[in-house]
Amino acid sequence: MKFILKSLPLLLFILPALSVADEAENQIKYRQAVMKAIGGHMGASALIVRGKISHRDQLKAHADGLLAMSRDIPGLFPEGSDFGETEAKEILWERWDDFREVSDKSKTSIENFVKAVETGSEDDVVAAFREVGKGCKGCHEDFRQKHEHNH
Amino acid sequence: MAHVSLAVRLVARTFAGKTNSLSCMTRWFFSLSLFAAAPLWGSDTLVDRGAYLVRAAGCVSCHTNPDDHDNGGGGFLAGGRALRTPFGTFFSPNITSDPQYGIGQWSDDDFLRALRHGIAPDGSHYYPAFPYTSYSRLRDEDIRAIAAYLRTVKPAAAANLEHVLPWYLWRGAVAVWKGLFFEPAGFSIAPDKDAEYNRGSYLVAIGHCSECHTPRNRFGALDSSRFLAGAKDGAEGESAPNITPHRSTGIGKWSVDDMVYFLETGALPDGDYTGGFMSEVVDDSTSHLNNEDLKAMAVYLKSLPAIHNPDFAEKQK
Repeated sequence: MKFILKSLPLLLFILPALSVADEAENQIKYRQAVMKAIGGHMGASALIVRGKISHRDQLKAHADGLLAMSRDIPGLFPEGSDFGETEAKEILWERWDDFREVSDKSKTSIENFVKAVETGSEDDVVAAFREVGKGCKGCHEDFRQKHEHNH
Repeated sequence: MAHVSLAVRLVARTFAGKTNSLSCMTRWFFSLSLFAAAPLWGSDTLVDRGAYLVRAAGCVSCHTNPDDHDNGGGGFLAGGRALRTPFGTFFSPNITSDPQYGIGQWSDDDFLRALRHGIAPDGSHYYPAFPYTSYSRLRDEDIRAIAAYLRTVKPAAAANLEHVLPWYLWRGAVAVWKGLFFEPAGFSIAPDKDAEYNRGSYLVAIGHCSECHTPRNRFGALDSSRFLAGAKDGAEGESAPNITPHRSTGIGKWSVDDMVYFLETGALPDGDYTGGFMSEVVDDSTSHLNNEDLKAMAVYLKSLPAIHNPDFAEKQK
């Protein structure tokens, strides 16, 4: 009993710190899940745009999904979510304005993709999709560091 | 196609076991019979071919500094890019046509010695961070085309930076290293394979894919028994995945089309996009190549022995 009472102040000190760490981990998990959702729509769209499969009528749903998931990409990277199992590089927070800029560009390219899917020609769709991919790649180039696993 | 491989086989038999001076001749003859069949690098003038080869050989990513953000990136091919490796930090030199800071005064022979033998015009040895270990495979005429093109690149008056290396890696050590691990190989055509395979093999060689994707021993030499089987702890602390056709730890599930699309756009079959160095490679190199060449690279990679690499096992879900 005495021991518990004695360690109480210490516990009070540690618990909030633990929950902060927990919150950061959850932020990272959420971010990775959203990125996976974006990747899922990109992978599905690529198969359709490349003419590998025939679900053209589904493309709008994928494009809308992409847009919904990427409205606020910087919001997925709050301060403090830079430690733990993340592949985001420190530099993302150091060059926050650059990061915000490329995120905004990506969003615009996805909006254009949605428009192309709705009203554009097949060539427009292909070109717009390429631009979306450039956004993904550009951001991963500067701000993501993959460690030891596939790709 | 049949007559090409027949010709190659005949020539191979004729020159088998002959000396070095003849190997130049065989290389020349092979290049005539094999490469001439396809449109050579999709363009005709020497300078155009050089421009294409500079992309194919992946010169741009390292010799242009993308990190110079304050200046909107360094000048094209003006060097100054830091390459952080387990052996120290290397800074790429200026290879624009500037006569003082660049390589504007180089002769064709200077290019040949640098790319094939890793020796600078002043006779000093280059560190193998400059991948002459791969560039030694470049054909003479391709080196001349590269030289012709580089002489047209806008001069940039940017001085070279000193590498930051541990004390034991002085230039003299490179001579020892080269003695142990480097042989100016030249490119040898596989006579039993078709033109597409051989072209892919050449492009993968000069694109120096193996410099990152093949693991190194403790002396920094490539472990050829694990060719393209993936390497951890590469430059910038990045790992380079297994690109042999191993199904669960490599890219064995990718189709040739998937590989071409990846090299064109950086898109992985699962919808993810590549990052880090590889997205620079896509931006600066592979996305500039024509589809025929990308397909040749894919066909060649598909034909490699599949090597298991536990470091790149599929992620536990």
